[in-house]
Amino acid sequence: MTIGNPMMYVGAVGLIMIGLFTMLSKRNLIKIIIGLTLLDTGVNLLLIAIGYVHNRTAPIITRVHADPSKMVDPIPQALVLTAIVIGLGVTALALALAIRVYGHYKTLDTRKIRGLKW
Amino acid sequence: MVAALLIALPFLGAFLIPLVGLASKRLSHYIPAAVMLTNLGISLALLPQVMRSPIVISISGWTPPLAINFVVGPLGLGLVILISLIGFLVTVYGVGYIHEEPKEKYHILILTLLTGATGMVLTGDIFNLFVFFEILSLSSYALTGYNRDRGGTEAAIKYLIQGSIGSAFILIGIALLYGITGTLNMADIAAHIAGADPTLLFMAMSLLIVGFGVEAAIFPLNAWLPDAHSSAPSSVSAILSGIAIETGAYAVARIVYTVFDNHGIMLILAILGVITLLLGEMSAFRQKSDIKRLLAYSSIGQMGLIMLAFGIASDAGVFAALFQLVSHTLAKALLFMASGYIIYRVGSKKLSALAGLGRKMPFTGAMIAVAVLSLVGVPPFAGFMSKFSIVRAALAQHSATYTGLIVLVLLATVIEVGYFMKLLQIMFFTEAETEGAVKELPLSALIPITILAALVIAIGVYPQMISGVLQQAASGLVERSTYIQSVLGAL
Repeated sequence: MTIGNPMMYVGAVGLIMIGLFTMLSKRNLIKIIIGLTLLDTGVNLLLIAIGYVHNRTAPIITRVHADPSKMVDPIPQALVLTAIVIGLGVTALALALAIRVYGHYKTLDTRKIRGLKW
Repeated sequence: MVAALLIALPFLGAFLIPLVGLASKRLSHYIPAAVMLTNLGISLALLPQVMRSPIVISISGWTPPLAINFVVGPLGLGLVILISLIGFLVTVYGVGYIHEEPKEKYHILILTLLTGATGMVLTGDIFNLFVFFEILSLSSYALTGYNRDRGGTEAAIKYLIQGSIGSAFILIGIALLYGITGTLNMADIAAHIAGADPTLLFMAMSLLIVGFGVEAAIFPLNAWLPDAHSSAPSSVSAILSGIAIETGAYAVARIVYTVFDNHGIMLILAILGVITLLLGEMSAFRQKSDIKRLLAYSSIGQMGLIMLAFGIASDAGVFAALFQLVSHTLAKALLFMASGYIIYRVGSKKLSALAGLGRKMPFTGAMIAVAVLSLVGVPPFAGFMSKFSIVRAALAQHSATYTGLIVLVLLATVIEVGYFMKLLQIMFFTEAETEGAVKELPLSALIPITILAALVIAIGVYPQMISGVLQQAASGLVERSTYIQSVLGAL
């Protein structure tokens, strides 16, 4: 693993931790979903950071004789594009379900949403 | 290239449903069943060829490890046969069972769910595994809440939150693996993993196991399962219990065996499996209010058993795990499908409402009895053979730990006998609370259930029917060098 600027990893992991903490500690469904998007963003940043090489440009070929050694690794970027789309789908579904939960329970407080029991 | 159709057809079918629905709504509801039947035919036709050597398909002509590739080996194809068989039966059942509008959306989602499952077992690319996993999970979150009732919505949001934390873990694990090896092809990762930093590898593996473990319902990641499986429409429960969690278990096994080849984790997996098994069976035992919840807890228990067998880490252990997986899928799909209409006819989910039903609907009662006895492990049903092979594989290890674990498994089986016999006793030997006949299930439910019951008996009496494929599948999973060769050697 080629370690680039460590701050990028610190930032990405920090965002992941903030997202996880939000999801685990908050009681409001909307806040939990915000935590989920933070978590997703953190993971995406981590992926990008792994593919980043210092002083290189985006891997977009505009000329026939483009020099690949001046570009960053394109695969993590492709992965992140996919992951963003998946994240969008999950967030949209989560918000739609949250609306429906509110319709049934008239609250978004997870402590009060306890229709199902063990 | 015919094998690529296994994934392409369901996707095509899913997006054709709304278009065909414009012309004829009725016709569009039969598309999932037709697609799954075609898939079943294709996969059965490919089986003899795959048993000789795995088919490796590379997308768009790039050679592995550059391209995304699908590996149609005995394990993948065997699971595809199972998925398309259960998928076909459940979609036939679903045409009559689903009443809530909009029905097209149900049929689209069930087909995308099955696509996700098929893709997961066939893919040879770890990121592609994640993508198909997300297709499977997103469809199952949406299907869990399909009925829009209180319970279903709550279960769906719980499932979604826990599942998406799991997915994030998987993605972090994949990022780490890509950082370590610089490739996403599972065979290529496996080939390059030997010299890597063990701490980083262990981190990546734990993240992946935790992520897929949420779907595979390994303790302590299974809090979503009883809610989701009991609140979803019964046809969805059958798919979730019969296919979704099994593909999660497949992913865990694939990661542990093929990608990492880590033997230190196997014992932990086995112990977690036994804990899952005991907790699942004990929770099922004290369940009196809801038949589907009882079945859901029993699914947790059975998943624990499968995990234990995967943790034995021998050819025989993996064979037993796959056998148990097949017999659980057949029996549990049958039980969920039967209970769906029973709840509908009786109007209550309570166990006590089932009193005397076995005599009022003798045919359905008999089918349920077959499935229940198979799950418990009574000969001559499939469950007996699979449980027996688990016990035999564990004892063949000649280790005190595994023998101890097997003692706990037998204890769990006693608990299982306890609650399933109670179910049978209520159904057959208790006087009905209300007079009046209850109609047998409609034909669209009876035929799938009968086919499943026949398979349970046939496999139990004649296990050689599937044991050849399972044996090859097991050795394909354990011998990773053959897997690496067959993917990378096919340059």
